[in-house]
Amino acid sequence: MNAKIETPDLMIYAMALQIENSNTVLHGVSSPLPILAMSVARNTHAPDMAYISGAEGVDPELDRIYPSSFDARLNRNAVAYFGLHEAFDLAQRGELDLMFLGAAQVDRHGNTNLSLIGDVERPKVQLPGGAASAFLMPITPKVVIWVTRHSNKVFVEEVDFVTGQGYNHRAEEYKANEIVVISNLGVMNFKNPERAMQIQYYHPGHTVDEIKENTGFDLRVAPDVSETPAPTKDIIELIEKIDRDGVRNSEFR
Amino acid sequence: MKKVLTSLEEAARLVQDGDLVTFGGATFHRAPMEFVRELVRQGKKELNLIDREPAIDFDLLIGAGCVAKVRTGMLAFEVFGMAPNFRKKSEKGEIVTKEGACQPIIAGFRAAAMGLPSLPVKGMLGSDLLTISEVVGSQVEIQDPFTGETMIAVRAIEPDVAVIHAQKADEYGNIRIEGPFYEDVIKAKAAKKVVVTVEELIPNRDIRKMPEATTIPHFIVDAVVEIPKGAYPCSCFNYYDADYDHIKEYLKAAYQDQFAQYLDNNVYRRAVA
Repeated sequence: MNAKIETPDLMIYAMALQIENSNTVLHGVSSPLPILAMSVARNTHAPDMAYISGAEGVDPELDRIYPSSFDARLNRNAVAYFGLHEAFDLAQRGELDLMFLGAAQVDRHGNTNLSLIGDVERPKVQLPGGAASAFLMPITPKVVIWVTRHSNKVFVEEVDFVTGQGYNHRAEEYKANEIVVISNLGVMNFKNPERAMQIQYYHPGHTVDEIKENTGFDLRVAPDVSETPAPTKDIIELIEKIDRDGVRNSEFR
Repeated sequence: MKKVLTSLEEAARLVQDGDLVTFGGATFHRAPMEFVRELVRQGKKELNLIDREPAIDFDLLIGAGCVAKVRTGMLAFEVFGMAPNFRKKSEKGEIVTKEGACQPIIAGFRAAAMGLPSLPVKGMLGSDLLTISEVVGSQVEIQDPFTGETMIAVRAIEPDVAVIHAQKADEYGNIRIEGPFYEDVIKAKAAKKVVVTVEELIPNRDIRKMPEATTIPHFIVDAVVEIPKGAYPCSCFNYYDADYDHIKEYLKAAYQDQFAQYLDNNVYRRAVA
């Protein structure tokens, strides 16, 4: 009998699988899931990846995560410091391969909103801000958006405000860059000629219909849709060891 | 070299009402919190705050009524959620929020540090953030004169005052930052005036033994203040970690309409070394 795998662990593993062994990857602020995904990747299929922490350490020997993703203890035994402005220089050179970004809203074209709901001058809801989203979304070869509350209030027909640029808000030269959306229900991508969001994987215990019902637009389904690969016991233990305080659950409450 | 060692009270007087101010550090790390509390005690008004990813430093000043305008890439409390005073006052229209993005804000500081009027950055095109930025005229679409590539030119950001909390300095203002630098060195070079609060004063002869450790030399520093635990409740690498429990208490006070009490207990009545 398999024990039920917790949603954060499923998401973390799905996020880790987006990283390739040759990649240079950066995480940002408020990012327990990306930090854990990067740690899983380098301990499994991507040992050669370059890991740049938002706390500025390069390839740290991470033993624990904290409520802040910039906590200097995340840099334990790092080989170097590489500042955010240097990581952004790298991104402009096209050499930052993958970045994880959050979203309060995401739409069918992959636009994200982390800025505000309502009027720009007098917002109904003031959101925290997009951080690096508007800079990195178009120019980074792969951006992975993680969303912990998949609902039709978050997955909307059109975002109220375009913070990060989807495929209908970017220049032709950047349309080849990939967006992947990983939610608590499944994994979505845009691998079709229209660059419209489609379900690629549904998490164990969830269905294509459930994902569609919780999405505020007509979500496509990839022809080869299948169940999300589940992490092994060893991987789950690794996640639990690094995140013994359960920081990863904070976004799900 | 001129001695620039002074008191916290004197150093905070370098900040005028209405000034454009930036702080060192990022989120809960190496923010100059005791200096921020002194700004509150001195009753500063109409401050114009700018930074890439601040947290409790900005939110405290906003909650204490010291702020007119805010420009950040993101202003939140990491996994603890929204910045409570920022959100409340922004939604009530009591402060003006001009959201930037991390890279243009850093590029603006870099331009000022290099003595340039602007600096081009990639990305940004297609984001609604440009419609906000264009209101304040800080970001304009340009074509590179050599390749024709379309980019965004970011206007230089020259703060009136940059305030940085570092680990060590001598009395002349030769500054050592240990661990992550964030954009602190860039901000120091970009600002008109630079105040550095430090955990520890060290003798000039120790500074001279390891000049490569001096990340900010004396001639760009206007004031140095020795304040042990000057970043608290934020962390200061090699000295202390962030006090996440205190940060949670701050949030609780703000959400339970007890922020005035928080200020009483932690800012106004706080004994300063």
